[in-house]
Amino acid sequence: MAKLLMFHGRDCPHCKKMMPLVERFEQETGIRFEKYEVWHDEKNADLMRSYRDDIAPKCGGQLRVPTFFNADTKDVLCGDVEYDKLKDWVARQ
Amino acid sequence: MKKRYWRCFVCNDIHYGVVPPELCPTCKALNAYVEITAEEARKILGGGPDAVFAAGDFQKAIERFTAGNEFMVNPDEDKVETLLRGIFENEQNHGLKYCPCRLRTKDWEEDLRIICPCNFLIHETYKGKPDGECWCGLFVRRK
Repeated sequence: MAKLLMFHGRDCPHCKKMMPLVERFEQETGIRFEKYEVWHDEKNADLMRSYRDDIAPKCGGQLRVPTFFNADTKDVLCGDVEYDKLKDWVARQ
Repeated sequence: MKKRYWRCFVCNDIHYGVVPPELCPTCKALNAYVEITAEEARKILGGGPDAVFAAGDFQKAIERFTAGNEFMVNPDEDKVETLLRGIFENEQNHGLKYCPCRLRTKDWEEDLRIICPCNFLIHETYKGKPDGECWCGLFVRRK
């Protein structure tokens, strides 16, 4: 399975909304995201910045959170999305 | 176009922009702005009163900012509280009121675009959408 990352911010309402959906997804499928909080951990922030060229063009030109990222294929899903959309995105990875 | 610093020779208002204002917004003097260095601007501004904003003050400031505009502060108080906490933590930890829902790139010019309030009118989450909101949701289109 591809290496799936989730970049999120502690005080981002979109991330708060997504987190229970991600946890539900992980419980249902056994597939896990590596989660990186980017505003309070500079290493995590640098990791997200290192993928800027892959992420930004698909997220309005910026580094937004939440962002779901396949570190192998560089595929990106950004923003808070419906559960099925998250599930479909992972299925395509 | 490079922005520079300008000072009104009548009332010492400081302007940061590509060109100086023709009319000083404070004293209404015409053609009163002279270019100054960044250091001069910092010294003049540094000698002024400290405007320390608590979260509540910032909230009042953005409510005044939205009055008369097509957008307003999100009526969802919990969301606003979360966002203001993030914005203030970002100011404390990273120097400016950066959006908690985006990440600064460490490119100064680029990161000026994510200071709250940002120019969300051009964002796809707002532009042309009846239920448009800024990326983080602090501002929503007024109904």
